[in-house]
Amino acid sequence: MATEFHNLQELRHSASLANKVFLQRDYSEGTTCRFQTKFPSELESRIERTLFEDTVKTLNNYYAEAEKMGGQSYLEGCLACATAYLIFLCMETRYEKVLKKIGRYIQEQNEKIYAPRGLLITDPIERGMRVIEISIYEDRGSSGSCSGSSSTSGSSAR
Amino acid sequence: MPNSVGKRFKPTKYIPVSTAATFLVGSTTLFFVFTCPWLTNTISPAVPLYNGVVFLFVLANFSMATFMDPGVFPKADEDEDKDDDFRAPLYKNVEIKGIQVRMKWCATCHFYRPPRCSHCSVCDNCVEDFDHHCPWVNNCIGRRNYRYFFLFLLSLSIHMVGVFSFGLLFVLHHMEQLGTLHTTVTLVVMCIAGLFFIPVMGLTGFHMVLVARGRTTNEQVTGKFRGGVNPFTRGCCGNIKYVLCAPLVPRYNGVDPRKKPPVSIQPPFIRPDLSDRQISIKVSNNGIHTSILRSKSKISLDGLAVDDKGLDTQPPLPPKADRYNQLKSQLKSQLTSLSSKTHPSTPAMYKYRPSFSTVPKVHYHAAGEKIVMPDDHRKASAILEEGRCHVDYRSEPNLDLPDYRNAPLHRSFQSSPLQLDSYPINSSSLSLKQAHQRRDKGQLPVLQPETVTSTPYKSVFSPLSNRNSSLSYDSLLNPSISPATAAECIAHPGMPSMGSHSPYLPTKMCHVRGPEPQIQRQQVPPSFSPVGMGMSRGRQSPQDRDLSPVRYDNLSKTIMASIQERKEMEEREKLQLLHHGGCSQAQSYAQAQDSGMFDSSGGYGLPPSACYPDSPRDPSSRGPTPPAYGGSRDNLMGVVSYGPRTPVLRSSGGSSLARAPRTSSSSLHTDSSMQGGRVPEPPCRSPPHQPHHSPAMPQSPSYTHKKLSFIHALERTDSPRLGGPREAMMQSKVNGQTDCHLGPNRSSAQGTTLSPSRHSNVKKVTGVGGTTYEISV
Repeated sequence: MATEFHNLQELRHSASLANKVFLQRDYSEGTTCRFQTKFPSELESRIERTLFEDTVKTLNNYYAEAEKMGGQSYLEGCLACATAYLIFLCMETRYEKVLKKIGRYIQEQNEKIYAPRGLLITDPIERGMRVIEISIYEDRGSSGSCSGSSSTSGSSAR
Repeated sequence: MPNSVGKRFKPTKYIPVSTAATFLVGSTTLFFVFTCPWLTNTISPAVPLYNGVVFLFVLANFSMATFMDPGVFPKADEDEDKDDDFRAPLYKNVEIKGIQVRMKWCATCHFYRPPRCSHCSVCDNCVEDFDHHCPWVNNCIGRRNYRYFFLFLLSLSIHMVGVFSFGLLFVLHHMEQLGTLHTTVTLVVMCIAGLFFIPVMGLTGFHMVLVARGRTTNEQVTGKFRGGVNPFTRGCCGNIKYVLCAPLVPRYNGVDPRKKPPVSIQPPFIRPDLSDRQISIKVSNNGIHTSILRSKSKISLDGLAVDDKGLDTQPPLPPKADRYNQLKSQLKSQLTSLSSKTHPSTPAMYKYRPSFSTVPKVHYHAAGEKIVMPDDHRKASAILEEGRCHVDYRSEPNLDLPDYRNAPLHRSFQSSPLQLDSYPINSSSLSLKQAHQRRDKGQLPVLQPETVTSTPYKSVFSPLSNRNSSLSYDSLLNPSISPATAAECIAHPGMPSMGSHSPYLPTKMCHVRGPEPQIQRQQVPPSFSPVGMGMSRGRQSPQDRDLSPVRYDNLSKTIMASIQERKEMEEREKLQLLHHGGCSQAQSYAQAQDSGMFDSSGGYGLPPSACYPDSPRDPSSRGPTPPAYGGSRDNLMGVVSYGPRTPVLRSSGGSSLARAPRTSSSSLHTDSSMQGGRVPEPPCRSPPHQPHHSPAMPQSPSYTHKKLSFIHALERTDSPRLGGPREAMMQSKVNGQTDCHLGPNRSSAQGTTLSPSRHSNVKKVTGVGGTTYEISV
């Protein structure tokens, strides 16, 4: 909508993307999905270390939960086999459920913590789970009103 | 079938998959049509059923293997590879379970390939857990579809075996009718099955081994783990389980930037609280740079400081007075002294504070000079945190008030709570320190203001504080010092040595206290405010230095004195180190102890030794209050600037004071002005005052600090010495104090001359005597 675009433009004027920080995967324990919790220096002045670490640790926990090879994943596999995998057409796997949870969590974190600090976290699934991308915005002055779509989604687009 | 827009239609790549599909479906269909009816009739209807199920399974897996995204990584944004593209090394090593694995840079996808990832030239994608590109399914086999591929192979093998067996059975029963249609077809099917049997079974067996070993085809074929260890293996059973039971990972590539509500980013942006961060304050006292890292806990110091008990003018602190009380009293005394000397109100004290404060919070600094110690220490921390206060330290105009130092110091003792309230205890400590420093510097009167809280001490200390740096000062002060102070001074010297009863009293205070009745040492007449009673006491004993003109009479002397102090401090450190074990005890001890004891415990102890030539400050005094000391130490570190003589004291005292109010008394002592929190330390802290004391004081830490400060700080000619010993003390204290929170400070205190690099924002404040404090936030 025109309004949205307008807002977005205003948003751009008011806060522009300054930098991006990429949190790499932590492969020390194999290929299970974990992200490094090392606090990047670019965020030193932008966010408290504890908040950041909490976020990353929570994400790591979510991913660990998603990749857990327990009874549920086995049953899912058996059921899928039995139904010639047609079950995937109607049912959502556990992993997908957790990913949705992660998406919601990231959204919530963005809204509550990161956006007020001029940061934005991109869901790692959009990057192939290789990195967590955190976009750093700078205040460029005049504040636009707005609610434009997050630039990350824009930026995530390639 | 065109695959995707933009891609050229290459029919050739579809030949294998088409062939495979054709053979599979065709053969099976023929089998079902021609062979199964007879089998059903002859054997049982279960045969076609079984074959049907197996065939269904084969088809399903085949479809999944063919059409499922294997785990393709989306190509990286330009932003991501911005840094990597040009100067990226080709390989990046990562350690997985202790084994170095190499990640290669993918020029097409613009990222370093995660472990086990490989780029498929056919698909032109990086695939996660890349196994191989299978032409028969025309798809890469990767993480997501490996299981289906494997099951496809398994089921196909089973299917082929089944078809071949039943066909054979049919043929054997129809040997005489080989020319009939059914038989012919069955024979053809058998031939196809037989033909593909070897490759398929071979491949199945191969993958069964791979699964058991936890390797991919790519790894096996390229020999990555030949003779080596596979970091990705989970054990045989674990690997099998992983292949068969792992959850299905959703695809990466087709993910839309999910339609989620956009998040608006609008300035103003919240920035993290600086106060939350550790603020390291480096106070270069006399060129001694000690940085004290203060965490929020500093504030606690404040609490410890003045506010409580209010600074009643030097209530005589019983030897066992609780540190806290002592501290408070000290503060008050300091304040009073400060106030009295400078102005009736705080302002003066503040003014001078900076000079004093140049020494890192170590209130210790000059035990004598700034009585602020324990309280100050806390306050110092608090002050530091606020920034303002610190500034006071630093900026202390120490020089301005030459008289102040003397006078107020002495006076402050008895005075009513001076601006103590105004400055939080810290200020008092600061003032003390400053006072001391000043004195060291050059008879800076400023000292007093600094130790707002410890004003009373200050006065006392002034003569006494000479311990560290104040020695010289003492001499200088002496004339100006009231007789009481002088007496105190004298008395104080002994203070440091003894763990003055008032642990709070900074070492300086100990000296100062000398005169105070509280002083255990009793050497010094308790004319001084009891606040630092303990401290003073401790100090007093060793303080004979009160008139050691030696040190700080003039700069040259101060230099010499500082050198002496340093030496003493070193000695003390050693002693303290020995006593450190007792530090924790000392803290508690410190409480009971008078300031004198603090020497050991905190800066208090130190200063006396440091400041006062009277080495009688036996290390034991320090010992008892190591705990306090430790805390103060930290403070001291910061405050080292205490003065040439007792720079350490200050810091140590302060730190210790800041740390643990527990030994309120001790904290008070310790130069506690510095510590504010750590009570016990005080005595140690005040090494600055007495170079001599340092050795005497068991608490070497402060001395250590002092020494360090001394070394570093040579900014102030006179103060350096104090700083040195003080630092030494602080350090020693740190070491000794088990619960020194100095941890972070310690490093700083340890003679880090201004570690500006430590923090991003470093504020430098120059105090009297050239001491520069750096506060980094």
